[in-house]
Amino acid sequence: MGREVSESCVESLLTEIVSSYCNHFYANKPELAARRIEAIGYQVGHQLSERYTMDRPRFSDHLEAIKFICKDFWSELFKKQIDNLKTNHKGTFVLQDSRFRWLSHMSIDLSSESSGSAQDPSTMAESKAAQATGMYLYFPCGIIRGALSNLGIPCAVSADISSLPACKLLLLNTLRCFSR
Amino acid sequence: MIVCVAVVGHQNNPLYIQSFTEADDALKLHHIVHCSLDVVDERVNNPKKSGPTLNETFLGLLYPTENYKVRFHLAYVDAVSNPFHVPGKKITSRTFAERVSNIVKSFGLSSAG
Repeated sequence: MGREVSESCVESLLTEIVSSYCNHFYANKPELAARRIEAIGYQVGHQLSERYTMDRPRFSDHLEAIKFICKDFWSELFKKQIDNLKTNHKGTFVLQDSRFRWLSHMSIDLSSESSGSAQDPSTMAESKAAQATGMYLYFPCGIIRGALSNLGIPCAVSADISSLPACKLLLLNTLRCFSR
Repeated sequence: MIVCVAVVGHQNNPLYIQSFTEADDALKLHHIVHCSLDVVDERVNNPKKSGPTLNETFLGLLYPTENYKVRFHLAYVDAVSNPFHVPGKKITSRTFAERVSNIVKSFGLSSAG
């Protein structure tokens, strides 16, 4: 019964969120911009998880809830499932998406100012690019954190984009809420 | 017939409560709602006892047609999807109140026979 929007609208919105918060609302305060963007994602994730679990019975345990995030929830958001799920059975999970859709149309501009011969400038350019790209992950991380929180699993969610277009989401401290 | 509809948050805080009879006052309704919640909690915390019924919504499974639960749930999901709704705070949407009362009305009509 829900209405849908085209994926390009969502990608444009994400681009604009990052641009507005980084260049306008919290210019020169990237940490604040990141926190704000993540908080917006958190509320969205909370609401989406409520909607997407409507037809399902309660999850019997954490693993079932996380598998829901990896399969059904990820499919609703990104039209595909998580490709790999790992855990250390001590509360940490790693979700790997081998081709993260919301970054697939983004060109990562590794500056060509240095010809690549000197090590430092290219590493700097790489880390600047990584930092810039990283801003786009706060919203999706917030969504996942909000969804998990609503399913009874408060935790920290961070992203590892060292091997784009693959994206790894790290879920930490999921065992905090074990007893009800 | 449906006497009262209540939505309760994660911390047992009331998010919405509406009675559909003239008799009961608000405080009495709150008490009844919380007592009902105790029944729910009991079933949730004793999965072995309740077994297959755990996946039901515990709402006094007396009626043959159960799609009113889906309609209430959908109204709730739409209400909390409102970006101006603050999670954990009371639901203030008039649309939600109208939808709830429409469901209660149609439910009363269908179970009259």
